[in-house]
Amino acid sequence: MAALKEKRSCGQRCEDFGRFVWNSDNGTLMGRTPEKWVYISLYYVAFYVVMTALFSLAIWTLMYTLDPYAPDYQDRLKSPGVMVWPDTYLEEKVQIAYNTSNKESWTKMVKILTKFLQPYNETNQLEYNNYTCTKGKYFFQNFTPTSHHIKRACPFTQSMLGHCSGLEDPTFGYNCSMPCVIIKMNRIIGFLPTNHTDSPPYVNCTVLDGHENVETMEYFPNKGIMDLSYFPYYGKLAQPTYVNPLVAVRFSLVKEKSAKIQCRVVSDKISYENFYDPFEGKVIFELKALK
Amino acid sequence: MSKQDTYDMFEMDGDMDKKKKKKQKKKEKLEGMKKEMDIDDHEITIEELEMRYTTSVTKGLTTTFARQVLERDGPNELKPPKGTPEYVKFARQLAGGLQCLMWVAAVICFIAFGIELARGNFTCFDDLYLAITLIAVVVVTGCFGYYQEFKSTNIIASFKNLVPQQAIVIRDGQKNQINAYELVVGDLVEIKGGDRVPADIRIITGHGCKVDNSSLTGESEPQTRSPECTHENPLETRNIAFFSTTCLEGVATGVIINTGDRTIIGRIATLASGVGNEKTPIAIEIEHFVDIIAGLAIFFGFTFFVVAMFIGYAFLEAMIFFMAIVVAYVPEGLLATVTVCLSLTAKRLARKNCVVKNLEAVETLGSTSVICSDKTGTLTQNRMTVAHLWFDNQVHAADTTEDQSGQSFDQSSETWRSLGRVATLCNRATFRPGQEGVPIPKRIVVGDASETALLKFTELTIGNIVEYRNRFKKIVEVPFNSTNKFQLSIHELEDPLDLRYLLVMKGAPERILERCSTILIKGQELPLDEQWREAFQTAYMDLGGLGERVLGFCHIYLNEKEFPRGFRFDPDEMNFTTSGLCFAGLISMIDPPRATVPDAVMKCRTAGIRVVMVTGDHPITARAIAANVGIISEGSETVEDIAQRKRIPVEQVNKRDARACVISGGQLKEMSSEELDDALRNHPEMVFARTSPQQKLIIVESCQRLGSIVAVTGDGVNDSPALKKADIGVAMGIAGSDAAKNAADMILLDDNFASIVTGVEQGRLIFDNLKKSIAYTLTKNIPELTPYLIYITVSVPLPLGCITILFIELATDIFPSVSLAYEKAESDIMHLKPRNPRRDRLVNEALAVYSYFQIGAIQSYAGFTDYFTAMAQEGWYPLLCVGLRSQWEDVRLQDLQDSYGQEWSFSQRLYQEYTCYTVFFVSIEICQISDVLIRKTRRLSVFQQGFFRNRVLVSAIVFQLCLGNLLCYCPGMPNIFNFMPIRVQWWFVPVPYGILIFVYDEIRKLGVRRYPGSWWDQELYY
Repeated sequence: MAALKEKRSCGQRCEDFGRFVWNSDNGTLMGRTPEKWVYISLYYVAFYVVMTALFSLAIWTLMYTLDPYAPDYQDRLKSPGVMVWPDTYLEEKVQIAYNTSNKESWTKMVKILTKFLQPYNETNQLEYNNYTCTKGKYFFQNFTPTSHHIKRACPFTQSMLGHCSGLEDPTFGYNCSMPCVIIKMNRIIGFLPTNHTDSPPYVNCTVLDGHENVETMEYFPNKGIMDLSYFPYYGKLAQPTYVNPLVAVRFSLVKEKSAKIQCRVVSDKISYENFYDPFEGKVIFELKALK
Repeated sequence: MSKQDTYDMFEMDGDMDKKKKKKQKKKEKLEGMKKEMDIDDHEITIEELEMRYTTSVTKGLTTTFARQVLERDGPNELKPPKGTPEYVKFARQLAGGLQCLMWVAAVICFIAFGIELARGNFTCFDDLYLAITLIAVVVVTGCFGYYQEFKSTNIIASFKNLVPQQAIVIRDGQKNQINAYELVVGDLVEIKGGDRVPADIRIITGHGCKVDNSSLTGESEPQTRSPECTHENPLETRNIAFFSTTCLEGVATGVIINTGDRTIIGRIATLASGVGNEKTPIAIEIEHFVDIIAGLAIFFGFTFFVVAMFIGYAFLEAMIFFMAIVVAYVPEGLLATVTVCLSLTAKRLARKNCVVKNLEAVETLGSTSVICSDKTGTLTQNRMTVAHLWFDNQVHAADTTEDQSGQSFDQSSETWRSLGRVATLCNRATFRPGQEGVPIPKRIVVGDASETALLKFTELTIGNIVEYRNRFKKIVEVPFNSTNKFQLSIHELEDPLDLRYLLVMKGAPERILERCSTILIKGQELPLDEQWREAFQTAYMDLGGLGERVLGFCHIYLNEKEFPRGFRFDPDEMNFTTSGLCFAGLISMIDPPRATVPDAVMKCRTAGIRVVMVTGDHPITARAIAANVGIISEGSETVEDIAQRKRIPVEQVNKRDARACVISGGQLKEMSSEELDDALRNHPEMVFARTSPQQKLIIVESCQRLGSIVAVTGDGVNDSPALKKADIGVAMGIAGSDAAKNAADMILLDDNFASIVTGVEQGRLIFDNLKKSIAYTLTKNIPELTPYLIYITVSVPLPLGCITILFIELATDIFPSVSLAYEKAESDIMHLKPRNPRRDRLVNEALAVYSYFQIGAIQSYAGFTDYFTAMAQEGWYPLLCVGLRSQWEDVRLQDLQDSYGQEWSFSQRLYQEYTCYTVFFVSIEICQISDVLIRKTRRLSVFQQGFFRNRVLVSAIVFQLCLGNLLCYCPGMPNIFNFMPIRVQWWFVPVPYGILIFVYDEIRKLGVRRYPGSWWDQELYY
């Protein structure tokens, strides 16, 4: 007891530690003889090899059971997320702010949109999705006309966005106070936005703040409709060339040229009131055009 | 006792020099105390005494002067020992080894949070939550521990005698009854039989006054008090009566020479408070354990800091990783587990009448290797009882058990009838009236100890003594005095026709024998010849050798003619026959051991605990009792015995041959501490007699020097310094003085030494079980830590969150880890040696390594399997997860593609991450169920121990599962505590790993059992 309670000086402690590291009396290094160290190391190596093997086996079995075309569960993907481009943020809020008199500021927006629309250009779409879909109907593909389960995808070309396609106006209206934004809904395998074939989902934007600053809103394609033929999505493996349908909105800003806008994809199976996911079924952003 | 000293005692820190000085001062103080006892008030004449205290031995003090003195000296009461202030007690609860670890962790969390905040990351509040939780855990367990100790303090406080003591004092020549605390030095007081002595008193006049000094010296024999100074040592002299001792009989007046804390008792009490408290063994163990944890945490943290730097993280980020790893290593739940386990045992002990004042002391008894026990009141009943009788040339044993369950002796002999009559009649003790319902041994008696013993003895054997005495009317009596050493009385006979008087006499046997000419043998009066004298001598020596106090009894029928009815007997002149009497027999008395003690001592011995007797009583008595209760076992000899047997001088005896040794206080004073250590080493059976409080302290210190963990039991004030010094002090609840109870860590409410054995058993059990609990709690540290390590190094989405970890640590796993405290012992722990505090640690390397790197590793694998399953089945293949972290955590990325090309918003990914947390949580839970099952035993197979015998553990597992389900499936959980309602099949993914853990541990245990001492045993047994 006494030895335990005794306050040892630093020197003694160091000496004790030194003896622990190398004890010449019984030839132990850190409490074990070198021979024992070899044994224990081998034991642990064996242990971890076996465990890792078991783990790998478990992961292999897991991968073996997975369907490569569709995930087993989509528990988190009940309703798709919606996002707006240009996707510029101020902290955690989407804010599309540019200065018409500052070219650098608005070309940044233009670049984002151009890059975003890259897969949608005519050549790309013609090359990959050269297929005419029946509009206004879900594009179900139960049978597989081509081999290896590859399914067709409907083309969506840049030109469908009309004034916001960037074809007529490569600035997307950012050189003046009529900016275009593009709304995209996330794709989910097998997701059907509505039960009624007569009412396809469409984008509806409302001004939350600064009504007086927004004169008009124009939707492209017409009425902001996302055609039903783009649904359902069959997954990356089956539909490698799939592109999401887009909706562009052109705002004409007046007065202070600043507004808070909510764009919602309206459809009976898309929820938008999830408090915890602000991007579910809708997107809220601030639009600001400065002079 | 100067101010300087008290200041010194509270000065905790300081360099070595100061400490040495302090030690020296302490020694000086002890020495000083001895010197201070050298008062000379007992040696000076009455006149000088009057002068000194400006008092008068006839009229006492004047009231006004008394008031002045009272103002000067303060009231005559023991200052309660400077109780630790409540806030200090509470603060102590917050400053243990584990607590410090958690404080440090909390500070690190705050720092990490501060860094995050400074870097502009306003979303990461996990560090803050963690810090707050850590502090909350420390404070809550602190409150719990404090409450536990507060409760036991209350139990102890309720024992305190609250009735103020009264004293008769003479002031201004007037007799008054006042409260004892108003007494001052110089007061003339009167004491009588039954009173407690109100202060240290120099006796002025005394009539047959006897006091019981047992609380001061441990001697159970009454001491006579008379005006003469008989010894220069104030403790030995007859003319001083000490504060708080009891006056048994007679009356005396005396002048107060010391009051309050300046009395001898007061000084001993102060001495006790000056002795520092030792760290409990469990506290040392926990500190050792904290060292291991902290070392591993820093090692791990540093390794991954380097790894993170190497991978290419910024310094600050790597620093945050370092901190997070260190904090993750803190077992948050362990503090609560340890506290609850200890208090459970404390509760269990309280039910068995052991109240523990300090929670940590629960375990101390289990590690105890030496018990220094006081004799009087602890081993013995503290009550003189008739033990043997000698008549008809034969020694008869009387029943000395507390409840009269023993065997009685043959009472048919005519001699016994005569002896019984003498014992009954020649006795001035009487029962206090109104105790008809009380069992005889428990009744209160007015009279000295030996007369009390005889009274109770005769009441038990003959019956109704009051009526018996009435039949023999007492004519005259001569009380005992120290010159003639006998007591006699003369009675009429019960037969009214028989006009003879009966003279009965008792006293010191040799004096009685001198006066006898005949002896009663089987009812016949035979002449007392040499043969009978020799028989008497043998019997007397035998009984005396047993440490018993022997009295002789004789009687004579006075000649009717010489002493007719109405004869005026004169007790002073003794105008009657006092020689040529008829010897009836001897009766010997002893303070007998408690019935349960020999058995308890035996159990202690089988448990490898040495029981050393330390008493203030005489060596012979001490030795006899020691032999009686088994402290000195049968056939053990002392050095003196061997010398006598071999007829060689004591010096020539090889000391190692003697198992037993009796050392008296006088011898002890001559011994150096090395000699004492030697004696304790060489003789396994030790008895210390005639020891002073300081010497008890020295003995305890010596035992501790030899590496023992020492328990001290005692009841008197004289024991309190030793109680305090001991690793665990055990005081008696009923007989114990307040000073002893204050100094002790544990109190036996029923004064039963056997309860100590229970304490030892429980202490050992809790040590074993704490080991299991800790092993269980530590294991999950690894599966809690590895997700973070993988997250840093492989950049997968975080598999396990901070809040989830806290739920594992502080909610689901608490109950199972506490339930291990209910586990039965694996083997007969009372047949093992006490643990060696140097070797048998609470947490040893084997335990930590096995828990961390084997079971913990398996649990981690289980967690990751389940994690990857949940991710893959929701669309994220394992290989995609690798390196995904920066995108996954990007708040601004709302369309991250999974392996199937689906796009996920940030919140969806976040909920998926919560799903992973939950899945990992469930994996740890499932593996922990397996873990708690394997921790039931360390050596035996769980099948041998029984799966369901520990009901608490079974219910804990059920509780754990229910709580896990509640957390998973209760609505609202995702957004409050980040638990998601996971798919049911994910509960079963870790099950094979659970089975693997169980099977692996069974194999380990099998190897340990089959090949003790093998490499396997050395490396894998913890």
